[in-house]
Amino acid sequence: MSNDVVVSARNMTKRFGNTLVFKDVSLDVHKSEVVAIVGPSGAGKSTFIRCINRLHPFDEGTLELLGHRLTGGKAKVPRAVLQDIHTRVGMVFQTFNLFPHLTVIENIMLAPMEVKKMPRAEARERAMALLEMVGLPHKRDIYPKRLSGGEQQRVAICRALAMEPEIMLFDEPTSMLDPELVGEVLGAIQRLAREGMTMLLVTHEMAFAKEVADTVVIMADHEIAEMGPACEVLESPKTERAQQFLSRVLKPEQAADDFVAARTASQGGDR
Amino acid sequence: MHTMLQQWALYLPDYLKGVGMTLELTGAALLVALVFGFILALARLSKIRVLDWAATGYVEIIRAIPVLILLFICYYSLAQAGLKLSGPVAAIVGLGGFYAALYGEIFRGAILGVDRGQREAAEALGMPRSVAMRKVILPQAFFAILPPATNQLSNLIKDTSLVFTIAVADIMFQANSALSQNFLPLDMLLLAGVIYFLFYLILSKFLARWELNVQRRRS
Repeated sequence: MSNDVVVSARNMTKRFGNTLVFKDVSLDVHKSEVVAIVGPSGAGKSTFIRCINRLHPFDEGTLELLGHRLTGGKAKVPRAVLQDIHTRVGMVFQTFNLFPHLTVIENIMLAPMEVKKMPRAEARERAMALLEMVGLPHKRDIYPKRLSGGEQQRVAICRALAMEPEIMLFDEPTSMLDPELVGEVLGAIQRLAREGMTMLLVTHEMAFAKEVADTVVIMADHEIAEMGPACEVLESPKTERAQQFLSRVLKPEQAADDFVAARTASQGGDR
Repeated sequence: MHTMLQQWALYLPDYLKGVGMTLELTGAALLVALVFGFILALARLSKIRVLDWAATGYVEIIRAIPVLILLFICYYSLAQAGLKLSGPVAAIVGLGGFYAALYGEIFRGAILGVDRGQREAAEALGMPRSVAMRKVILPQAFFAILPPATNQLSNLIKDTSLVFTIAVADIMFQANSALSQNFLPLDMLLLAGVIYFLFYLILSKFLARWELNVQRRRS
């Protein structure tokens, strides 16, 4: 593992019982690199990034990150290693998962105070700085329920950043949001990218992936279909599976027409 | 009517002593049930299988036994086996032990009912399990615990009336001794019923207001 590589996955395979989620996934992430993982649903993207911070165990292969080397299978990872990984890798969820019984600022302060034993005043100050960054300082004493989805997700980003992670994982951060709220969350992520944060991002926002990501990984049918520099992969994919996926997402009207045509054909033409 | 009120007035001081005993028993049994119930819930949720099995076995068996039998076991059977408990202690152990099984299940259900994403979020932030439990899971489970727990509390108060069978001087005991003196079972039991009803009324009003308060504070 070269110094520059912070996450290195080798032949990682994951099953839930007998159901294959993904297989043979190998991927290197360099410091300050932004990797976007795209692909059809059910391809195993979300589970893959959850395996990276070990919210899920994986079955085969190895994963090196932050000086730890994890192997797949039943072997238990020591609690201290898991906690070190969780402390240094931040995660943002599709469903936000803010703590509903705490106010916005308490949500952000909780982990630094409990895990890093940071004094309350310092935690508060840093939480405010983070809220300023995402433009929500005036919401600090409000409960998450009163926030819009976009605001909740921005708070969730602050909550993860409060632990000063070295790597950030985003699990479809905008797919639960109304379309007009997507921009504010993507804006916050883009800002992080510019500041040099190492990030892995599962997303359905192709335009955003192209703009922000250095590397794009297309996962389909439980494996990596194609991976490379963002523009290259998204504009001129080489593999057939990647082409197929991209033509469907980038030209939805065309895909709809094809779908209708195929159906009509299968029903024996126009009636 | 006239004689009934006279009889009530005559025996009221005895009944009030009984009220004191009933309240003390309820309080002590509730404390035992809450603490032991919480331990049972944690044991059932534990990854250590022996703890889980032991707690599950306890809950399933104790729940299935009528409270009266448990009280007799604590008072008579344990004495036969050499462990002599006084009436009130046997009552607290019996009622507390029984209600611990019920409260344990309430706690467990509420803890499991907290959204899985909450646990994941806490874990992803590096919180050790004990911190996640204390700061994230339990505060949220509390709202799910409150209504069924207060419900069980009113059942507990009523079940304390069984302790008169093991010579504890609660309300029911006083009613029983009064009616054996004046041979007016209707009047004397009615007074006991009225007192239990007042308990229930006060408790349900009080707890309903508390629940409402908690809910309001949450939103």
